Amino acid sequence: MTPAAGVVTADPAEPAAADPAAAEPAAAEPEGADRWELLRALGALAATPPPASRPVSEALGLPPSAPADHTRLFVQDLPPHASIHLGPEGKLGGEGADRVAGLWRALSLEPPPDADHLASLLWLCAELGAAAGSCRTAVAQRRLEHARSVLLWEHLASWLPGYLAAAAPYPAAGGWSGLTLAALRRELATTAAAAVLPAALRDAPAPVDPHERAGDLLQAMTVPVRTGFVLTARDLARAGADIGVGVRVGERRFALQAMADQDPRATLSWLAGHARRWAGVHAAQPIASLASEWWAQRAAATAATLERLAGDA
Amino acid sequence: MARRRTRQPTPAPTPDLGALGERVSAARAAAEARGDTFYQGPSQTLLASFPPPERWDEWAELDSRAWPERVERRSMLVPTTCFNCESACGLLAYVDRDTLQVRKFEGNPAHPGSRGRNCAKGPATINQVTDPDRILYPLKRAGARGEGTWERATWDEALDAIASRLRAAITEGRHNEIMIHIGRPGEDGFTERVLASWGVDGHNSHTNVCSSGGRTGFQFWTGIDRPSPDHANAKVIYLISAHLETGHYFNPHAQRITEARARGAKVIVLDTRLSNTATHADHWLSPRPGSEAAINLAVARHIIVSGRANWDFIRDWWNWQEYLAACRPASPQTFETFQEALAEEYDGYTFDLAAAESGVDAAVLAEVAELVAGAGTAFSCHSWRSAAAGNLGGWQVSRTVFFLAALLGAVATPGGTFPNAYNKFVPRPIHVPPHPKVWQDLSWPLEFPLAQNEMSFLLPHFLQDGRGRLDTYFTRVYNPVWTNPDGVSWMEVLADPEKVGCFVALTPTWNESAYFADWVLPMGHSSERHDTHSYEQYDGQWVGFRQPVLRAARERLGQEVTDTRQVNPGEVWEENEFYIELSWRIDPDGSLGIRQYHESRANPGQKLTVDEYYGWMFEHSVPGLPEAAAAEGLTPLQYMRRYGAFEVTRGQGAVYAQPVPEEELADLHVTPTGRVYTGAPKPDGPNIAPVGAPAPDDEGRRAVGVMVGGTVRRGFPTPSGRLEYWSSTLAAWGWPEHALPGYIRSHVHPDNMAPDQMVLLSTFRLPTQIHTRSANSKWLDELSHTNPVWIHPTDAARLGIARTGDLLRVATDIGYFVAKAWITEGIRPGVVACSHHMGRWKLVGHDAVASGGMMATVSLHEDGDNWSMRTRERVRPYESSDPDTRRIWWSDTGVHQNLTFPVHPDPISGMHCWHQAVRVTPATPGDRHGDIAVDTARAREVYHRWLAGTRPAGSYSPDATRRPAWLMRPLKPAADTFAIPEPAAAFSAAGADPGAVRTDR
Repeated sequence: MTPAAGVVTADPAEPAAADPAAAEPAAAEPEGADRWELLRALGALAATPPPASRPVSEALGLPPSAPADHTRLFVQDLPPHASIHLGPEGKLGGEGADRVAGLWRALSLEPPPDADHLASLLWLCAELGAAAGSCRTAVAQRRLEHARSVLLWEHLASWLPGYLAAAAPYPAAGGWSGLTLAALRRELATTAAAAVLPAALRDAPAPVDPHERAGDLLQAMTVPVRTGFVLTARDLARAGADIGVGVRVGERRFALQAMADQDPRATLSWLAGHARRWAGVHAAQPIASLASEWWAQRAAATAATLERLAGDA
Repeated sequence: MARRRTRQPTPAPTPDLGALGERVSAARAAAEARGDTFYQGPSQTLLASFPPPERWDEWAELDSRAWPERVERRSMLVPTTCFNCESACGLLAYVDRDTLQVRKFEGNPAHPGSRGRNCAKGPATINQVTDPDRILYPLKRAGARGEGTWERATWDEALDAIASRLRAAITEGRHNEIMIHIGRPGEDGFTERVLASWGVDGHNSHTNVCSSGGRTGFQFWTGIDRPSPDHANAKVIYLISAHLETGHYFNPHAQRITEARARGAKVIVLDTRLSNTATHADHWLSPRPGSEAAINLAVARHIIVSGRANWDFIRDWWNWQEYLAACRPASPQTFETFQEALAEEYDGYTFDLAAAESGVDAAVLAEVAELVAGAGTAFSCHSWRSAAAGNLGGWQVSRTVFFLAALLGAVATPGGTFPNAYNKFVPRPIHVPPHPKVWQDLSWPLEFPLAQNEMSFLLPHFLQDGRGRLDTYFTRVYNPVWTNPDGVSWMEVLADPEKVGCFVALTPTWNESAYFADWVLPMGHSSERHDTHSYEQYDGQWVGFRQPVLRAARERLGQEVTDTRQVNPGEVWEENEFYIELSWRIDPDGSLGIRQYHESRANPGQKLTVDEYYGWMFEHSVPGLPEAAAAEGLTPLQYMRRYGAFEVTRGQGAVYAQPVPEEELADLHVTPTGRVYTGAPKPDGPNIAPVGAPAPDDEGRRAVGVMVGGTVRRGFPTPSGRLEYWSSTLAAWGWPEHALPGYIRSHVHPDNMAPDQMVLLSTFRLPTQIHTRSANSKWLDELSHTNPVWIHPTDAARLGIARTGDLLRVATDIGYFVAKAWITEGIRPGVVACSHHMGRWKLVGHDAVASGGMMATVSLHEDGDNWSMRTRERVRPYESSDPDTRRIWWSDTGVHQNLTFPVHPDPISGMHCWHQAVRVTPATPGDRHGDIAVDTARAREVYHRWLAGTRPAGSYSPDATRRPAWLMRPLKPAADTFAIPEPAAAFSAAGADPGAVRTDR
């Protein structure tokens, strides 16, 4: 999953294609290698469970997490893949992964199998930054900085803040989520803010529709770009306790169906409240203002739709 | 509704990212300077190995529920075997040393068949043991039969009452009024021997609604009714079954198929439905139901015409001479003639013909046939239920499957297919009672002289015909009302004391049949009973031992347990001790000659104990076990209680080719075709695995082998001693047209269906349930609890079924059921499918019966011959001693489709032909999910129609006997009972309706 070091060369043979969406790249900060190492380390913690990751967490000053907690967060409940959070089906692979892979190919690189995993994205970001710092020509440096900017705004800032908010309550997130958010914020600050929404959000599927079939609607609840929120198994367990229905252990879609079968009104109401809360989460976290605004609006729209449906149930 | 605030990311103070970066860089540099890898990448998890046997007395592991504290739990690990499906996979019970309760079940690595691996049903045994709704005490009916009111009774009351009835029936010569009806036995022969000791031919099994069709095809070839494919060493694995997911013996077979695939073996699966097995196939063929034999024959033709038949094997081991003599008497009786004849017989089975029959493209068939033809002797094949259980003539599916193995010479070769008896070891027990001197016509009627097993599913009709009555009818972990077709007819007879005088249900849990019982007696699950068993799962022989694990645990601690009820929950018992006690009460003074078979040898006049029963068996009848036990300082029984299984042999190889020992050769008679008979008596071997019993010659010499290459070799237990390509039995008993491997067009062949009918496949299992036996497992119920009807999108569109979940009505010959649709391309167009595991129910008013997570509460309405069932209450969360019953999140438990199926007895194998020709329509406005409607008068008509297709022994027997004596029979009566009685003395060969049965010949 983690690309080999040095995949990005400092002096690519071909100049980068012009990208009208990107502004003139800002110069890299002078921290140098340490800055990129931090990104690699934060990504590695999402990919490598303890105890193998213990030296990394110790270096970051983070408490060690239990292997089971790590698996629960990064494997079971919230796999840190961009495709899940940006893809039209909320699943691994597909269009969401293809967008990331496209960036690698644009850099004349072979995308790794998990190119859209957070570890891969942060690693690539570090490689681009490191390579840009050692470029011998300004053209090459601009090209790499531009690529890094695209990576940051299109493929990280577009989903990572929401992901980190969802991950924060998990024991394995510890201080990691806050640290990662801070690192992202710092990286974004080194580049000019994108003038347009990330493509994944521009082309996102329509928000949930009150006229959708019940099954499709419940399926949509697991698709962040359709709802504006992240819904975890942990959330569902809490929902079951809140509204007093049995929670099926299994995929979220089936658990939701089972909850809705037992008490559709309460289930829809709870989901509406969940969407409302997420609208607030996005609004309170304007790291990438255009994207954050989009997510907040999407969550608010979902909340309104679900409230209406709950009233009709 | 309570509301909570979503936890927001804590706004931590801004970290010093620069300093952190430096620390990380430094740590990485230091690690790499040491030669370590700082970023180690994704995890690689290693599976834990099994606890080593030397630590099975004192195994410690951390209690996961106590986390984060490190609390050790100490367990004794006690082996037993699973009692759910027939695979009998090994289990290890983790018995808490402090509480002496079973904490969990995992796999037993010492079990040669399952090798420590289990499917979901094995570990779920813990649910069955701790099921809050299980039956813990003997119950006696309090109200009218079927009313659902019960009172607790003592075992003494039950035993005395039942023994009294049995004694009266036996002493009054009413032996045939006693019957024990078995579900999956899960043991090798104990019940049969109990019945034999009573002198009763009352063994009834479920096999004719299960695997009789498959067995018949193998029996007519080899004299042994099951295959044992050596999948692990095969090059090509050919399955007309779902053995990677379900079936006998899927877990042991699946792991070996997986090994073979890892080495490059190819898997071919014939299944109309996209089963989990089909998804793993290299070639999945989805044939039109019932056309499988045509495909097999096209493959056979390809083997022959492409020159890949193993002629040396065929020359030595097929009964080709008998074929020529019977079918081509005018031709030269040479092997060359036979080669030509064989090609001629199947010349018509071109790929085009098979394609036309099956709907599978001819080019695909050709590709598959080439693969099979290239397998040589490493061709393993299996057909069990599936097509063989679904179709009229389904037995020809397994006969034509084995035809392929026989053509290739892939019989008992590495990677080939063995007769199961080569890979099965049934130890001779301490007592072997003689054959009963009566013949049970209710199970073995004259209309079905070649039936592979008891005609169990026709019992209600036979009782309604007036062919007999039952004084005492036991069901043993069996649920005939739910399992059989035409369950309403079962309810009618079970509710009628004139037809069934006393109904005793031996069952761990409530079921649809037990509602009608007079006595409900609680029997143990896997970890609460003794049994031995041995199943063909690879080329070797093993004996497994099921045992009450708490009894074994207490004995390890030095405590004495003399009765399994002392350690089982409530007053749950086991059958062995129950039958011994019951037999003593039937014959307390021994005057009936019954008690002797349940007496101790060590202490004459005392009751036989299970310790002595199994101790004797393991000491005297399992070669190698006493030595293996002695090497560990154990008795054979102690060894089996410790390890749970013993591998007797490995690598049986081609037993048929083994020379017969000199001591068995005396006063020989060799027929012109090489059949060898001997005057030497048969030695009493320790292995009594059932096989065919070829008749002696006219002078009474027993069939001992065949002459091949100048040596008397063991051969096969068939009349000819060879593989029977041509069956003299079928030819002689009225079916000459089916004496060769052939293709019988099914009752669901397009020619036999109306244009608006579809085929319903109702036979398939789900990997996580096993009929009604597993239904008190909460884990399994959560995994699988409903049975939607699979329907192809084109059919759904044609019929106006818009969405998955829409209700549809499936109309059979005798009624209909209402189910949900599952629109999927995993089923062939023109075919619908519905798994048979679901649709459990209890009756309104049966308040003593907890419905658990699988039983809807239904009302049953009778209006003359018209019956209907409607769901009144679906499953829902409820309070019990198990908090998980509050977490039942599902309500849909499917539909009991079997109620709407009429009986379809195959006239040769006797198998119920499960496939149904149905009309599928969208549900009508008044329909509700789970609705059932049945016309029992119509059910009787269908029964008579199928009965009319039989060729009864009374008209067709070549020797005035009821049945070929050589054929296998679970409990074989004495030889003189085989004679057809005078019409006045027994039910007419023509059956209840003389006009219904053909007498032409």
